[in-house]
Amino acid sequence: MTATTHGLAKARRGVAPGGPGRTPKKHTRTSTLKAQTTRTFFWLLLPSVLLLLLINGFPLVYAAIQATHNGSLINTGAFVGWDNFVDVLTSPGFWKAARFTLVFTIVGVFGSWAVGLGLALLLRTRIPARGLFKVLLLLPWVVPIVVSSTAWNWLVATPQSPVPSLFHALGLGTPLFLADPTLAMVTVCVFKVWVSFPFMMMMSASALASVDENIYEAASMDGASRFQQFTQMTLPLVARSTYISWILMTIFCVNDFPTIYLLTGGGPVDATTSLVVFAYRTVFQNFQTGPGVAVAFLMTLTLVIVSALLYRQIRKAGVE
Amino acid sequence: MRTTRTTFTRRGFLGLAAAAAASPALAACGGGLGSSAGGSTIKFWDMPWSTPAYNTAAKKITEAYAPSSGNPKASYQTIQWSNFYQTFSSAIASKTGPAVSTGGGFQAFQFDEQGQIAHADKVIAALKKNGQFDDFLPGVLDAFKSDKGYVAVPWQLDMRVLWYRKSLFDKADAAVPTDWPSLLAAGKALKKIGVIGFSTGSGAGNYLGNHFMIAMMINNGGGVFTPDGQLDLLSDRNVEAIEFVSELVSNGVIDPAAVSYTTDNMDTQWKNSKTGYGLYVTGLPQRVGDTSGDITAASPLTGPHGDKATLVFPNNIMMYKNTPSQASSEAFLVYYLGQLKHLWQQKLMNAVPVFKSITELPEFAGDPNNVKIVKEYQPIAKTFASRGTVLDANIAVLDGGQAINQFTQTILTGKSDAKSALKTFQSSLQSVIKS
Repeated sequence: MTATTHGLAKARRGVAPGGPGRTPKKHTRTSTLKAQTTRTFFWLLLPSVLLLLLINGFPLVYAAIQATHNGSLINTGAFVGWDNFVDVLTSPGFWKAARFTLVFTIVGVFGSWAVGLGLALLLRTRIPARGLFKVLLLLPWVVPIVVSSTAWNWLVATPQSPVPSLFHALGLGTPLFLADPTLAMVTVCVFKVWVSFPFMMMMSASALASVDENIYEAASMDGASRFQQFTQMTLPLVARSTYISWILMTIFCVNDFPTIYLLTGGGPVDATTSLVVFAYRTVFQNFQTGPGVAVAFLMTLTLVIVSALLYRQIRKAGVE
Repeated sequence: MRTTRTTFTRRGFLGLAAAAAASPALAACGGGLGSSAGGSTIKFWDMPWSTPAYNTAAKKITEAYAPSSGNPKASYQTIQWSNFYQTFSSAIASKTGPAVSTGGGFQAFQFDEQGQIAHADKVIAALKKNGQFDDFLPGVLDAFKSDKGYVAVPWQLDMRVLWYRKSLFDKADAAVPTDWPSLLAAGKALKKIGVIGFSTGSGAGNYLGNHFMIAMMINNGGGVFTPDGQLDLLSDRNVEAIEFVSELVSNGVIDPAAVSYTTDNMDTQWKNSKTGYGLYVTGLPQRVGDTSGDITAASPLTGPHGDKATLVFPNNIMMYKNTPSQASSEAFLVYYLGQLKHLWQQKLMNAVPVFKSITELPEFAGDPNNVKIVKEYQPIAKTFASRGTVLDANIAVLDGGQAINQFTQTILTGKSDAKSALKTFQSSLQSVIKS
């Protein structure tokens, strides 16, 4: 007996909705097909699931072990329960980093979105050399972060750098963009917006491309102003893409290590230390593996919550 | 039958696919558990200590090693500085690490604490036999002798040296500093002509600011630790030293933007004649491409109580317990130490060698700055362990850690007085070091 006929025979032995003893052939066949399809999907998915478990699950479990032990990268050490989490959550350094991460993320997400959307709208208009502009505007995203951070450092780091020199020439003093804690925070956030806006521009441009131009013509005939068209038509129509790009950019910002570390190293005086920089320093400079991994866990938890909230917004918008 | 065959084929395919997908991952897991370091060779891991030509030369030396019969040959691998501690830790944990390596200045002590280091007492004994032991510069071995034995063997000294640009001192009509008051006076004079009076930095990846702070403490007879290794940051000598640094900051002798300077920024300022004086690594003229002789090593400063000292990082070679043969690791290390002179003969190293014979080589002694550094700086050089003499794993936490970075940046921004900053430094450090 083949597997299929064996399955059918099994199905025939069951009690069908048509009453005992009767065999609702059509329904059984559908159920069997469904079961077979499910089995096929199961077997097709199994390798991927196993790989995911190996690639993601193992490090996650190992990290959980490290977060609850007081060891090093080599030796796990003794079990300390929640102590590492308590230590981290009662550390002023953690909360200072959390505050900067929040600011950095808000500015990074909404700043890059605003610039990206604005440029995407601009690129829909008839401007000369639009293709060239598109390519040039992608450069900040394409250029390796090591190169762009070096370039920004050259632009702003010393009083002799071009930007402070320009300010000086304009009689605006010589601002120390990376030496003053407040200015360093501003500089890092602006740098993040500069690096990220091309991604937002691409997301917005693809969403705008799917919007039918005719509705704008209809709205104009109904007397809607440009601003009304933007706020009441464009924004709702690209809402799905916007929420998705916010989720992605939130994850990018919270996990962003090189943008900050290469430009300021988290300084001056920890002014630009984000949670991921804090975690890195805790593990690799203070050699406290457990607390460092605990910070990473707390970050993951926060990201999951934020992402879930934004997904709910997508569902509410009826665009999942 | 067709259905059966189809089902079987599909399942068979899926099974094979799963097996094929899983086997590299499982092999990766298993490989780490089963393999031993080095296999049939002595794996030597080295860092990019200089230009790529250095690593090429070091590789040649390693591959030229001809072991006595029965002993394995050696292989060479360059490990990048980026995330090096993670690289070593992961390799050691998975037993795929090196048998012998260079590395971070205090790495040997960290891994020794975790039971991974093979002590070098037999290497020292062999060096005594072949005469190299007596060739070490005075005091360089002392820092590596723990209660249990020699944790590693030094091979080069990363010294902090005071440099000055002669033409700028002439222009400012200032005398080269010999003590703290003359440093302040010269700094003010240099500032008047629009250049940096004392160069330092604490930007991304730049630890020279940290080194300057500790160098000033030990130049005043202080230091981070007591002779028996206890934290001692609030000593009067340390407070006095940091008060002087704050004075340099408040007088603008140290650039207000120094807190954010990377080593690239500092190099550019030295190169462009924007810096008159400062603490830097050995070989500064070569580093910034100055062949005019205008950048010269200054003499060490005398502190207000007559102390003279500078900071040194004795870079070292360590051996690991996970080796195909401990005797072979030792034999290779003895061989390698005997070949070090080639690196200086080829002018590939800017650091100070640990062997007197190498300091006398014409390729090294031909540079008057080198001669001055060996003569005036090496005898007074002290490590981060100062006022203690022996290094340990706690020094690694101090070097480049959050506590010292925050302290240095606080002082360089002038945001706090010396005592408060030292107090915060002490408590931050206390919370992360092991007592």
